[in-house]
Amino acid sequence: MQKRELRVNLKGFLIWTGIMLVLLLLIYLVYPSIVGDDNGSKIDEMVKAFPPEILKAFNMDIAGLDTAFGWLKSEGFVFLYLIIGIYSCLLGSTILLKEESEKTIEYMASLPITRRKAAIDKIIVSLFYILAMIVALGVFNVIALNITEDPDTMQLVLLSITPVYPAVVLFALGLFLSTFTHKTKKMLGISIGLVFAAYILSVISEMGASVEGFKYLSVFTLADSRWVITNSELRPVYPLISLALFAILIILSLVRYQKKELV
Amino acid sequence: MQETILEIKNLTKYYGKVKGVEDLSLSLYKGEIFGFIGPNGAGKSTTIRSVMNLINKNSGSVLFHGKELLRDDVEAKSKIGYLPSEVFLYDDLTVKGIFDHHESFYKKYGKIEAIRERRKELVARLKLDETRKIEDLSLGNLKKVGIILALMHGPELIIMDEPTSGLDPIMQSVFYDLLKEEREKGTTVFYSSHILSEVSKICDRVGIIRSGRLIKAGSVDEVRDKQLTFVTVTTDDPDALVNALGVKLLSKEGTTVRFANDMSDDDLIKKLAAFRIRKILIEEATLEEMFMHYYTEDQEDAKT
Repeated sequence: MQKRELRVNLKGFLIWTGIMLVLLLLIYLVYPSIVGDDNGSKIDEMVKAFPPEILKAFNMDIAGLDTAFGWLKSEGFVFLYLIIGIYSCLLGSTILLKEESEKTIEYMASLPITRRKAAIDKIIVSLFYILAMIVALGVFNVIALNITEDPDTMQLVLLSITPVYPAVVLFALGLFLSTFTHKTKKMLGISIGLVFAAYILSVISEMGASVEGFKYLSVFTLADSRWVITNSELRPVYPLISLALFAILIILSLVRYQKKELV
Repeated sequence: MQETILEIKNLTKYYGKVKGVEDLSLSLYKGEIFGFIGPNGAGKSTTIRSVMNLINKNSGSVLFHGKELLRDDVEAKSKIGYLPSEVFLYDDLTVKGIFDHHESFYKKYGKIEAIRERRKELVARLKLDETRKIEDLSLGNLKKVGIILALMHGPELIIMDEPTSGLDPIMQSVFYDLLKEEREKGTTVFYSSHILSEVSKICDRVGIIRSGRLIKAGSVDEVRDKQLTFVTVTTDDPDALVNALGVKLLSKEGTTVRFANDMSDDDLIKKLAAFRIRKILIEEATLEEMFMHYYTEDQEDAKT
């Protein structure tokens, strides 16, 4: 079962990861010319014009845009969180549902395998691909930035780990929501919307004390790149919260899937 | 005494307020082909999907070898072959790929050599090209793949929903032979269909389902034996004859009438004796006509 799932999901993984790697490569290739000469001072002036809340939301108050690593710490990781988040949520929302949507579920259900085992096999393969994507992007960033400049490698490695937390929670959330429907089409919009809504909430939460509470509604709070940049360590509580949310959602998904009518 | 393989007890399934099946009970015995017939929407697929645990029953139970057939009873599932009415398989695989995939689930049951042998035999008899991709297969070839998947692991019970749809007459004949061979081996077949001619041809017993209820079950002859005949009579006053007999007129052409009759032959002849009969033909109802009779009765009951 796992072998087949690995094969089926390989293409999607290669496309998503490949596109991300090409985009990052292009950015690293052109970034020196963007910030070179007097462009750097123009960017500085532009950044100063932003309100402090916006600078904080994008980590631009603690990371300069004069280097590619600086860009990665601010806008770069926003881009990575969003794309990895969408990939994870889509994977979660379609991995079980695909069998129903493509009507292969009657065949699958006739095989001598429990529903739980079939679902767990799919979950394991999905997690493998999510982690593989994060590792691939992390390794690429470490190598590419070490070639072009001299980043704080430890900080970069820690930052590269942070997408894992929102990604696994978004995967589990997508999986759980998918147990309420029978069609993947419905879940595609919901998954993408969910990721953007979570991201917008996390940006809004940086806008002031009155809206700070929104951060508790956003899975992107779990990444907390700001803490890693300022303290060069991972905040231990967020991995634990991520793990707890992931475990709860996976258990709920398995319970619901066990009882779900599959046609 | 016959060994019961599958027993459905008081099965009820509602989709919201819509009835799927209600209080349906039936038993399937070892080595028989049981025909499950009914029109579209009668509850055949609901029954099968409840047996396969694809949908949740409102009440009732399904026993396989006397033990409740639970969703996760992997051991029991390994002894069941299932052919859904529409075969949907993984499009990215070839025919060989899906058979290999199928085989991999039965390795632990220790009969892999027998499965491979059977697979080879079935592929040859149904004339399938294993190199073709699933997505390129015609409806008929897809059905053949489904049949092989249902049979290749040597199940004790085979559940089939509309199995011949899409098969050409030659392949239908091969398929009937395969089923007869399975029966000889002691395999039980639950054969759901609305094609009555094939049910009467290959099934040992039949059950007629109507509006979610099993209305009749028994051997093909028993079901047929409801004293239903079709009588064609040429007489001088056909209207008077029909009125006197109180039968349902099917057709009238000049002085010849055709009507359905559920009286015994003796009663019929006694009543007809009051008329001058020029010509008479009494035909035994086929299973198809019996089925239509039951079904029409139901529609008339619903109207009243």
